Amino acid sequence: MDLPALANCVTSLSCIVTQSTSGLIIGMLLFLVAAGVSLIFGVLKVINFAHGSFYMLGAYLVLTVYGLSDSFLLAVIAAALGVAVFGLLFERLIISRVYGSQVLMQLLVCYGVILILDDLVKIIWGPEFKSLGMPAAFQKPPYLLGGGVVPVYYLFLILLTLLIAVALGLAITRTRLGKIVRAVAINPGMVSALGINTGYVYAGVFMLGGLLAGLAGALAAPVRSIVSGMGLSVVVESFIVTVIGGMGSVAGALVGSLLIGLVRSFGTIGFPLFTEGLMFLLMAVVLVLKPSGLFGREG
Amino acid sequence: MLSIENLSKSFGGVVAIRDVSLNFTPGSLTAVIGPNGAGKTTFFNLIMGSLLPDQGRILLGGENIAGLPTPQIVRRGIARAFQIASIFPSLTVREALLAAVNAQRQQHAKLLARFPLAAARDRAQEIMHMVGLAMKADMVSRSLSHGDQKLLDIALALVLEPRVLLLDEPTAGMGPEERWLMIDTVHRLWEREKMTLVFIEHDMDIVFKIAQSIAVLSYGRVLAEGTPAAIRQHPAVIEAYLGSEYAGRA
Amino acid sequence: MRTSSMRRDCLIALIVFAALAALPMLWPSRGVSDFVIRLAAFGIFATSLNMLVGYAGLESFGHGLFFGLGAYSFALAMQRLGTSIPTALLLTVLLSAAVAGIVGAICVRLKEIYFAFLTLAFQMLLHSLIIAWTPLTGGDQGLTGGVPRPAFLGIRLDAPYHLYLFSAGLLLLCLLLMRHIVQSPFGYTLRLIRDNPARATSLGINVWAMRLAAFVIAGAFGSLGGVVMSLFVSGAFPDFAYWTISGEAIFMIMLGGTTLFLGPVAGAVMLLLLNDVVTKLTEHYGLVLGLIILLFALGLRKGLADYLAELWRERSARRLAVPLPAAPFAEPSNKLSGE
Repeated sequence: MDLPALANCVTSLSCIVTQSTSGLIIGMLLFLVAAGVSLIFGVLKVINFAHGSFYMLGAYLVLTVYGLSDSFLLAVIAAALGVAVFGLLFERLIISRVYGSQVLMQLLVCYGVILILDDLVKIIWGPEFKSLGMPAAFQKPPYLLGGGVVPVYYLFLILLTLLIAVALGLAITRTRLGKIVRAVAINPGMVSALGINTGYVYAGVFMLGGLLAGLAGALAAPVRSIVSGMGLSVVVESFIVTVIGGMGSVAGALVGSLLIGLVRSFGTIGFPLFTEGLMFLLMAVVLVLKPSGLFGREG
Repeated sequence: MLSIENLSKSFGGVVAIRDVSLNFTPGSLTAVIGPNGAGKTTFFNLIMGSLLPDQGRILLGGENIAGLPTPQIVRRGIARAFQIASIFPSLTVREALLAAVNAQRQQHAKLLARFPLAAARDRAQEIMHMVGLAMKADMVSRSLSHGDQKLLDIALALVLEPRVLLLDEPTAGMGPEERWLMIDTVHRLWEREKMTLVFIEHDMDIVFKIAQSIAVLSYGRVLAEGTPAAIRQHPAVIEAYLGSEYAGRA
Repeated sequence: MRTSSMRRDCLIALIVFAALAALPMLWPSRGVSDFVIRLAAFGIFATSLNMLVGYAGLESFGHGLFFGLGAYSFALAMQRLGTSIPTALLLTVLLSAAVAGIVGAICVRLKEIYFAFLTLAFQMLLHSLIIAWTPLTGGDQGLTGGVPRPAFLGIRLDAPYHLYLFSAGLLLLCLLLMRHIVQSPFGYTLRLIRDNPARATSLGINVWAMRLAAFVIAGAFGSLGGVVMSLFVSGAFPDFAYWTISGEAIFMIMLGGTTLFLGPVAGAVMLLLLNDVVTKLTEHYGLVLGLIILLFALGLRKGLADYLAELWRERSARRLAVPLPAAPFAEPSNKLSGE
């Protein structure tokens, strides 16, 4: 525990800026993953523990495509789409068989997939840590804001994910497709009786989750190391986020992610060894006070 | 035994039960009938404490139980069987009843003894015979036929040794032969145990065959109450519910 | 009812113990005796988890909390307090029961998925605490320095064969105790609650209190699994409180089956064997294990012991079939086909 360091930081503008930005990108990347987890749970009532593997795949895919094409943009798009397709296959071939099963059975299935992917990734790309390096477009000097350092890429990331968050929110609340998705979450039988193929909706939601997680992995590649098993801590954190924010709520995922991101970045200063513990403590508190989460519906 | 006085219940703007007053004398066998949506199940829910009445009294043996929580109402001697059988799928008939008897006798938390408790065996056996499930004692509950599951549901209610038993559509979902078997069981149960029995039913043949008295609910209020013969000739009942097929037949 | 009696169970346990005691003399292999000790640790742990999952219907993701707590508190008690082994055992069980009481009181009133997550949160909290509190726990390096093993009742746990016998004996003793609890009136009340909590409440059962009691009992037994592990590795490691321990236990009970009492032990045997065999054959352990898990979860869709038990039950049920009586107001037929 290092409270003096924490106190120093919150009283220094430069530290606040640096830590907040770092907290924001952690949060925004986490949001992309958590939004998928939350949607999948809200609509399919399935806890997708394998979501971290989607994230990991995104990072590895962007690595390969960038290496081949030298275009970060192309690589990110390819990675996101690639994981979206994987999400579709995963849903159709594997997860759809355990709809309605015990939660532990779903956990087991995902655990199996995680084990397989972690090893496959080692076989295909090798077990050592990899890194993408900062793409040429972003190799610019960082901005200085109030004395704090804000790398250009961070700013780009934050703005892009904010845009995606808004687009997602609008899509769900304003479009017809969004309405269908929400209806399926509430009463799939009724929606099906109205002639809409709920199977397509389920597959679509998984594809979207895969897309977002793959995108997150791709966008994280320049600033994180890429290694087998990197999905684990992400998926654990995204579950904390969905609990805090409320299952099935995109707004909740956003608020929860930002909260966790900030807790992480400031927490590493004040509680370097107990940062994980802080997040779990937060989750425990929310579960005790309002189990359905900040934005969740009861029941 | 059970007296309902001016019972009312609304949900938002919808009045479900409107100033209902009914009397069930000890040992009587009454059918509650009426069109769908008349409030029959709501009526049972109010008696059992699953819903809180807005107004009115529910007197069990003279004591007003309106507003009490369900476990307390149950302890005072009313039990209820459900329209959709509420049972313990993975346990056998025998196991479920033995465990229920334990609970009723507050012996369900014992850690040192071995299940089943000898004292509970007789009572469980007795109840199985009462509902006619003794032959199927070792069948797993979820593999029972629909009718047998409803019998088990009733058996579980009987464990509580109720003075008043409420049966919500005991023959619902059953084929023609099964339903007579069920109602025969119910009838013999009632005769043997001398309990006050109230049942909701839609099959008029059954109702007119066994009920001592009939209460007719429509749109949340009591349309008529009386003997089967009287109800048959009641013009309002004929118009609202029975139609000419049952009218006036002796 | 085909329930076993306590006498029969004890007899079986004694025979198994005798067989296990003789095993190292017939098959002197370090690998075999290590296997049995690990089986003891996980067998106790997985069976205790199944008390929650299979019998009470409480799907806990964080049972590893007690495995880790058991390992660390036992090792620390022996290292720091210098007590005898029986005393350390008692302290460990009491501490775990107390923690289970507090954690359970908070968690047990929540609905399934939230219950699962909150138990996980508490487990990871312990894990973080273990990593952070380096002076007490050795941090992420684990508790080193060995576990003192003063002799008690003539048992010297620093001798390999004694440790082997102690582990096997503790496994059988715990299984007997848990079996008894599960076959007691309390155990059947848990089954009622698992199947239909609303109906259980209407029978006058205090569902919350019963669930809490199950949680405490499961936690106490779970900690004994951790104790065996700490004796086996002569210390304690943060991994013992990591979520993967819970995951492995869940895998064991799913693999072996939740409906039979010995299902989790069967699952533990299978998973440990799988671990050992696969690591010998290939370095792609995760790939093979993952594929096998998928095979089970998607193909069999239930534990092996459950699957076999169902086949057996279906065969005997066919002989008990009762024909439905046909005429109204008639007595049910007394004829039974078969038995």
